Amino acid sequence: MAVRTIDVRERVMARNDEFAALVRARLQAAAVPTFNLVSSPGAGKTLLLERTLADLGRELAIAVITGDVQTQNDADRLARHTDRLVQAVVTNGACHLDARQILTALDAVDLEATDLLFIENVGNLVCPANWDLGEDAKIVLFSVTEGEDKPSKYPKMFRAARWTVFTKMDLLPHVPFSVERAVELARAVNPSLGFLMTSSVAHHGLGEWFSFCRAHARRGVGV
Amino acid sequence: MHELSVALEVCRMTEERLGPDGLRAVRAVGVEVGEDAGIEIGNLEFCLETLLAEPPFAGARPVILRQPGDMLRLAYLEVDDGRPDD
Repeated sequence: MAVRTIDVRERVMARNDEFAALVRARLQAAAVPTFNLVSSPGAGKTLLLERTLADLGRELAIAVITGDVQTQNDADRLARHTDRLVQAVVTNGACHLDARQILTALDAVDLEATDLLFIENVGNLVCPANWDLGEDAKIVLFSVTEGEDKPSKYPKMFRAARWTVFTKMDLLPHVPFSVERAVELARAVNPSLGFLMTSSVAHHGLGEWFSFCRAHARRGVGV
Repeated sequence: MHELSVALEVCRMTEERLGPDGLRAVRAVGVEVGEDAGIEIGNLEFCLETLLAEPPFAGARPVILRQPGDMLRLAYLEVDDGRPDD
């Protein structure tokens, strides 16, 4: 039998990127700034969003799409702080959100009445780096209870992100973590990264985070 | 981690290219994977082997081609066209 070779040379992510382009077009048409929050599991994404909704929720119309592997616990936690929509995406075992899930979730979001949209990705520093969700930027949360060499171990994620938010800063006196070293390693893989320092438990640095949110929100409330 | 998703997408792309009736004729699936693509090669190979062994496929062989950078691409398909050799 004759075996012939068919040349394909097509990117595996091409279809996801088509959906990401549709997401981006919808968000840009509505002028809704969108941030994709990524981190290791337990770095504090949900708590930071809880604080943000509780303190800024009356000032800014913030919508959230949460991704979780098996539950909608994060969405339930966030929904207690806002009357606005918190849309849960249960990935059923998948380790990341993809753009088609975001496109579907957007159907339930009133974009015309939204100043700022957060996507809370599945806790994982590997896979979500590969999937464009149509967001304006990725923000990587980096807790001081993790190793300061995370940027060296997961360079793709830190390269893909535009900002790093250090979390759990209140624990710094109790853990062997050098912020200076972590910043240095992060800048080694992405020199243009911006940094914010926060503790959602101790309310440390949240003012700066809220200013960041105001500055990027659609209505440009500013600081 | 996400290697199964990637493998499923490779199978979907193959079906898109050949149609559902053409999948039994696939003998090899070549996938280019960059060293920085965030893909565990053994895991992807295992996922592809598993999927390609089952209908509508008929035991096609995955061929992983390492590349520099973060490329992740379906490179080629080898298909038995059913005709006798020339």
